[in-house]
Amino acid sequence: MKTILTSAFILCACLMQAQDKYTSAMLKNIDALYKSKTSEEYQSSVNAFDRIASTEKNKFEPYYYAAFGNIMMAVNETVPGKKDNYLDLASANVDKAKTIKPNDSEIIALEGFVHMIRVTVDPQSRGQEYSGKAFTAFNKAVALNPENPRALALLGQMQLGTARFFGNDSSEACATSGKALEKFASYRPASALAPHWGQVMAEEVKSTCK
Amino acid sequence: MSCMKPTITLILLSLATLSLAQVRISGKVVNDKGEPLIGANILLKDTYDGASTDANGNFSFTTDEHGAQILIVTSISFEPLEHAVDLSRNIEVSLTMKESFNELEAVEISAGSFTAGDEKRRTILRAVDIATTAGATADIAGALNTLPGTTKVGETGRLFVRGGDDSEARTFIDGMLVMNEYNASAPNTPSRTRFMPFMFKGTSFSTGGYSAEYGQALSSALILNSKDKAEMNQTDIGILSVGAEVAHTQVFEKSSVGGKISYTSLAPYYELIKQRLDWEEPYSSLDINAAYRQQLGRKGGMLKAYGKYNNARLSYNQSSIADPTKKYLYEINNEYAYGNLAMQTPLNERWSLRGGISFTHNVNDMRIAKLPMYEQENGVHVKLVTESSLNEKVEVRIGAETISRNYSASRQDSVSGLTQKAAFDEIITSLFGESEIYLSDRLVTRVGVRTEYNSLNRNLTVDPRVSLAYKPFDKGQVSFAYGIFRQSVKNEYLRINNDLNSERAEHFILNYQLTTDNRTFRVEAYYKKYLSLIKYSLLEPSLMNNNGSGYASGAEIFYRDNKSIRNADFWISYSFLNTKRDYLNFPIEATPSFASQHNFSVVYKHFITKLRSQIGATYSFASPRPYNNPNLEVFNSERTPAYHDLSANISYLPKSWIIVYASCTNLLGRNNIFGYEYSAVPGSDGVYAARAITQPAKHFMLVGVFLTISKNKSVNQLPNL
Repeated sequence: MKTILTSAFILCACLMQAQDKYTSAMLKNIDALYKSKTSEEYQSSVNAFDRIASTEKNKFEPYYYAAFGNIMMAVNETVPGKKDNYLDLASANVDKAKTIKPNDSEIIALEGFVHMIRVTVDPQSRGQEYSGKAFTAFNKAVALNPENPRALALLGQMQLGTARFFGNDSSEACATSGKALEKFASYRPASALAPHWGQVMAEEVKSTCK
Repeated sequence: MSCMKPTITLILLSLATLSLAQVRISGKVVNDKGEPLIGANILLKDTYDGASTDANGNFSFTTDEHGAQILIVTSISFEPLEHAVDLSRNIEVSLTMKESFNELEAVEISAGSFTAGDEKRRTILRAVDIATTAGATADIAGALNTLPGTTKVGETGRLFVRGGDDSEARTFIDGMLVMNEYNASAPNTPSRTRFMPFMFKGTSFSTGGYSAEYGQALSSALILNSKDKAEMNQTDIGILSVGAEVAHTQVFEKSSVGGKISYTSLAPYYELIKQRLDWEEPYSSLDINAAYRQQLGRKGGMLKAYGKYNNARLSYNQSSIADPTKKYLYEINNEYAYGNLAMQTPLNERWSLRGGISFTHNVNDMRIAKLPMYEQENGVHVKLVTESSLNEKVEVRIGAETISRNYSASRQDSVSGLTQKAAFDEIITSLFGESEIYLSDRLVTRVGVRTEYNSLNRNLTVDPRVSLAYKPFDKGQVSFAYGIFRQSVKNEYLRINNDLNSERAEHFILNYQLTTDNRTFRVEAYYKKYLSLIKYSLLEPSLMNNNGSGYASGAEIFYRDNKSIRNADFWISYSFLNTKRDYLNFPIEATPSFASQHNFSVVYKHFITKLRSQIGATYSFASPRPYNNPNLEVFNSERTPAYHDLSANISYLPKSWIIVYASCTNLLGRNNIFGYEYSAVPGSDGVYAARAITQPAKHFMLVGVFLTISKNKSVNQLPNL
């Protein structure tokens, strides 16, 4: 009897160790990702998530964070063609995350983020298609989880960008990012690996308001 | 003993962990030129362990793994590399990666074609550009007339490409042929394309050397790809100086439905702006469009259905050339319907299938001096294509199609009062195959063949098409295209003689194109040979044959830049054309009256954020065109004055969902003359009376307000204008 218990314990420990290994590796890399500033640093983080994803095929988090890193690289990039290359990678990672966890507010918001950056490559010709896609995704993300502060922060950013493009006032964007900041204040992450970014974006949008 | 066991196991386990010391793996990753790769990802297979290379291509990491393992190295635009390692001690590896084949960076065939659309990122002309070109008033043909290879023929508003007439430039929507693509108009007044540019996500305008998939086009193929599923619900309302329109789009999970109704009436406008023609009932039309999109399966399959109905009518008093006080009524009622069902779906990993059916119905019910004249054409086009990327460097496409047309015309003879009738039924069946092969990412070739069987002239024909493109350096590429193209003769001849052979053109095109971010430069030279053109003598017009011939040659330059001037975008086109034909009733080989030797356009667009406006201007020039003066000995020896036009437009956005739009043509106020008409018989003085073909009015002005109602206030109709 004792043997069985002990074996079970060891087995359990092994499993827990595996879980811990994933979580600890993820936590370390998520931290590095948030601290990244240069494209090299982002690339290095994305690579780390790609490595974890290659082993942990049923976890959506590595794809989520790899996509986030790809988006940041696209934001830093100045050559339009290369921006698109990074966004293609981001989009592929978002799709994988979506397959593992469909209808997740955070993942859908990130999908909208990809579309939003696509617009910036060429607003005149892409505006109609990709701003439509971005708004649809952000609104869906908010509908899936009204408490998701990132979906609101992104929505506010998008509203500000469009208002500026058309030279309109930004009251709508201000209201949305204000709401995002309230949600950030009350945000309780569902797990250790849940995303934390986006508050600065909402604050920046808010800072442009009277 | 049994109690001890787990303890021993535990000890053994920890011992095992302890005894296995970490191993360090380090090395360098380079490309095939020996240059270090930055940011490459090195992974020990089935573990988390790995690293990224630094600025010098170096990497280093430790692992607890031992024995025979595999390193996987990946990097953007390089082929993934697997490298076996033995981890019994610290190791150092040097890895060389091979560049992967990148379609976006690779050479592409650009001879003859202008591709627009967001899918291919390096585009020359985007769909939105077509809609915002000044002088074009959102007409597809109008905008394409600012590109090289086209000749401005102001009295038609249609596309004339490289010495070809308007019937030689054909339009395809989602691969399906469109017949009678221009709205009804009075003779010698410009008509508009029936299809609005906003319907399309991509446009490919080919002025020669196009793929074997496209038949029945001698000079040009305009390939329009309609938009996919809509993304959001919206209602659009437009109020214009010439009519009104309302559209609505409803979006579902996997599908979308849209419809648009517009009513156009030029009567109020003609009250304000004096017109050259003596209108009885100015142009009015009702236009109804409906579109349905359905996603099929998960792998990008799509079903598209589109339908259009248009009814247009007009009448005016046509004066006799010899005696302008004598007038007769010219009336036309045009009924047009077009339907298109297109589907595409992947069959498996490699093969995909697409196909469609399109239907065109066109009726011209006319009365000239009260005498009825009737013309009807119905066409059905069915097509099925299967295509595959056999591997990343070889693509094949095989397809079959039939184009059947049923045409009838009748008219009442003014003298006898009898009704004359003419009709034909034509079925063209064809098979085509094409393969695109990348010999390297610098050299690509496309080889195709198209066979056709025509039920009327009972000819089986085989037409080859070949293209080649070479990119000697990172920027800039040379392409060449050759092909034989074939098209049934115009209805007005075919209805008299059903046995006439198809007309043929042979294209040779040489192109150089340099594209950098937001700048494009291209030069193109071509030679086109016309064979089997219609020929008849004035004495006996019913005795028609295919003995006509001709040629066209020329050179063109295009430059587009939306980088050098902030918030601005401009393009410049120049075309030189040298063409002669011996066809129709030409007594000698001569330059046809629609051909001008030099055509030049500058299109400029500027977005002014402060004013919330986009302004645009277009200047067009065409050198004198020949026309025939029957009072002179030599055929087609007279020349019109040169054509100049300066047009401007402005789009103002007071709110993001409201657009106020205004445009005006011919700001210089020129009286452009496109040619002369002569009376059929000479007057008592033995001279044929002449009348100039001019613009319908000095200017064409359009003013409109467009509103978009949707949940999301940032959406407007700007891309639609």
